[in-house]
Amino acid sequence: MMRVFTTVLAIIVMVFPAFAAEDNRTQFPALQTETGRLTIYSTTDLAAMKPLIDDFQQSAPGITIDYIEYLTNELHALASEACRKNQPLGDLLLSSSVDQLLKLANDGCAASHTSPETARVADWANWRDEVFGFTYEPAVFVYNTRKVPPAEVPRTHVELADLLREKLDYYRGRVGTYDIRLSGIGYLLAFNDARQTNTVFGRLLESMARASAVARCCTGEILEEVASGRLYIGYNMLGSYAYDAARKHPDLRVVVPRDYTLVLSRGALIPESAKRGDLGAQFLDYLLSERGQLVARNNAFYFSETGSLPPDVDGPQNLKESGIAQPIRIGPALLAVQDWAQRQRFIEDWSRSLIELNSPEWTRE
Amino acid sequence: MQHEPSLFARLARRISLVLGIGAALLVSAAWYYAETAADKAYDRLLVGAALQMAESLSVENGALSVRLPTSAFELLGLAERDRIFYRVIDTKGKTVTGYDDLQSPEPPDGSRDALDISEGTYKGEAVRIARATRVLADPSVSGRAYVIVAQTNEARSALTRELTLRATILVLIMSLLAFAGAMLAIRYALQPVERLGAAVRRRDPHDLTPVTVDVPRELDPFVSSINHFMGRLDERVDLLQRFIADAAHQIRTPLTALSAQIDLLGHDKLDKAGRQHFERVQQRTGELARLTNQLLSHAMVIHRADSIQLEPISLVDVARRAYRAAIPITVDPDIVISFEAPDDRPFVLGDAVSLREAIVNVIDNALRHGTDQRLEVRVRSDAIDAYVEVEDDGPGIPPEGWEKATQRFATSKSHEGSSGLGFAIAQEVVNAHGGTLGFRARDEKSFTVVLTLPLYKGAVK
Repeated sequence: MMRVFTTVLAIIVMVFPAFAAEDNRTQFPALQTETGRLTIYSTTDLAAMKPLIDDFQQSAPGITIDYIEYLTNELHALASEACRKNQPLGDLLLSSSVDQLLKLANDGCAASHTSPETARVADWANWRDEVFGFTYEPAVFVYNTRKVPPAEVPRTHVELADLLREKLDYYRGRVGTYDIRLSGIGYLLAFNDARQTNTVFGRLLESMARASAVARCCTGEILEEVASGRLYIGYNMLGSYAYDAARKHPDLRVVVPRDYTLVLSRGALIPESAKRGDLGAQFLDYLLSERGQLVARNNAFYFSETGSLPPDVDGPQNLKESGIAQPIRIGPALLAVQDWAQRQRFIEDWSRSLIELNSPEWTRE
Repeated sequence: MQHEPSLFARLARRISLVLGIGAALLVSAAWYYAETAADKAYDRLLVGAALQMAESLSVENGALSVRLPTSAFELLGLAERDRIFYRVIDTKGKTVTGYDDLQSPEPPDGSRDALDISEGTYKGEAVRIARATRVLADPSVSGRAYVIVAQTNEARSALTRELTLRATILVLIMSLLAFAGAMLAIRYALQPVERLGAAVRRRDPHDLTPVTVDVPRELDPFVSSINHFMGRLDERVDLLQRFIADAAHQIRTPLTALSAQIDLLGHDKLDKAGRQHFERVQQRTGELARLTNQLLSHAMVIHRADSIQLEPISLVDVARRAYRAAIPITVDPDIVISFEAPDDRPFVLGDAVSLREAIVNVIDNALRHGTDQRLEVRVRSDAIDAYVEVEDDGPGIPPEGWEKATQRFATSKSHEGSSGLGFAIAQEVVNAHGGTLGFRARDEKSFTVVLTLPLYKGAVK
């Protein structure tokens, strides 16, 4: 009886991996006899990671992968806590908020890893061989083609600010961006925007505030709303998610701004206290390998440092060659971004500009 | 015998020891300077970052506000792999932001405002800590605020290592060059010793004149010791020769008397055995007289070789005189004796007396031990040399005995009891004239002694 039950359970687990654990935990069972169990804590949508995990398991069929998803700030809090108490938390952390990973590494929570694959990583995307950037994701605009006439499509930050100012009534409440109070990635992008051009950013923030811009926790929500036509324009969306959404919704278009484009490299870090740091390193090597990068480019993150932009994206032919790409360097400067007081002050300023001026109905989730 | 290590090895050992100690000292010094330089370089970054952060402190709405400049972190980020810790402390000693357990080193008394930098440890890592002070004089917030910045030492250590390594390579190259140079110099410096050794080795064993090789000043004592020793040896040899000559001279007089006395003893009165004894005494006395004469002749020849100025002489004259002197009147009439000389009278540079003595000895030797029925004395010459040949039909000396025959008192079976100074004297004289004494055996019945002398080419008076 017991055996039958176990077998049934096993079948259920194998057929519906998504139901195997808590709602933010997904298990990818080993394709063959299990030889190891890799736990990944990530802020990346499962949909983007799934092709990579599947392909990885083709090359390492004995490894079961537990994929646990969090919001960036939650994951950072969890990881800091675990590091302070010296408790294990997964074998690999993936986060789009590289500043948070950098802080963890600076606090001595990361294990160093070098391999032929890590040697291929660009200088700006590797700190101390502890934090690695494994994607290349421009921060883009998205818009709904049915709502934004072709003549009005903003192609630079200034154009966006001007558009909101000129067509204030039309776009009121129709522009969405990250709520940087909730999203680490939103804060990171906003902070770098401010560093990039303080005046343009100030103008843009002011315009968005007047236009009662909507702040949301996550990329997915904004993209959905833009696709449905409830919002017209999304600002500072991660290129990978935006392009993925554009492929599914014909009305959604992606614009790579032509004045400057922040480029974020999603970070990976092997925790010092990892139980199976070796498996974490193996998966990290896969992500950095040519094969992993190819899968990522075709099925997961779409953009890459060297190749041209994916089709149907409004922007320069090649990000790197056009010279407008501003990669967010994975280095000590991110510590200034991550600073507690800095963050508080920046978010206060941001909230004061964007939220407090808005009508209360847009400020609450 | 315990073998003393060579001068070269001694010098090489000591020089390499000195160079090794020197290199070690230099490398230590290089390491020390490299560390200082690395510290200075990276301390500037640290101080710069701390000052920038302190500068960013301001009072807003009655509270201390921090806008940490990204550039400060980028400055620190020039040390690419180093971790950065910082802490901002407000006027009340409360942490505004950063790592609130990062401790500032206690500043020395009376320098509370000074920029402070020191070594420390944070999170189990060795760090360099800088502290910058900002004096705030706002009515609501006044006092001192501090910014403490710490950085791990990886870049410093890497720079120190690199600088030290490079300096070490230079020092090693320099040491090797110095060593190689020293070895070459030593080899060069020791060459005169080798030369002196070779010169002394090459000398004729009879040459007791001072050594005249050019040597460096340092070897002068050595050379003069050799020469001093040579001089003493020479004196001793002179003394010995004089003694022998004197002794021979002294012996000759009683010997002559002894011979006369023996002759006066008529041997008719003796019985057969007595006669036999008498004849032996007579024979031995003759030998003794001859030996005494040879000793005297030898002493004379040596003396003359040292003191007489050589002059051109006719070799034929000398040989003829010697021939006449050497053939006694009482010679066996059955022996055919001849003297041949060319008309052109070859001249040699020499001492007539010594040469005559030499030829006399050779002829005398031939008569006594060689000649059976024939003795020929020939003088001849070619373009280079003049020759005096004494040929007899005796058994001669077998070739293996030739070398030995010219030694003093050599004995050989065919010359039993004949040992003497004959050939030795002849050879000494000929050598002193730059010539040689040789032997030639044509067949059983022909043995020739050849005296070869260099021909005198100059004009004859």
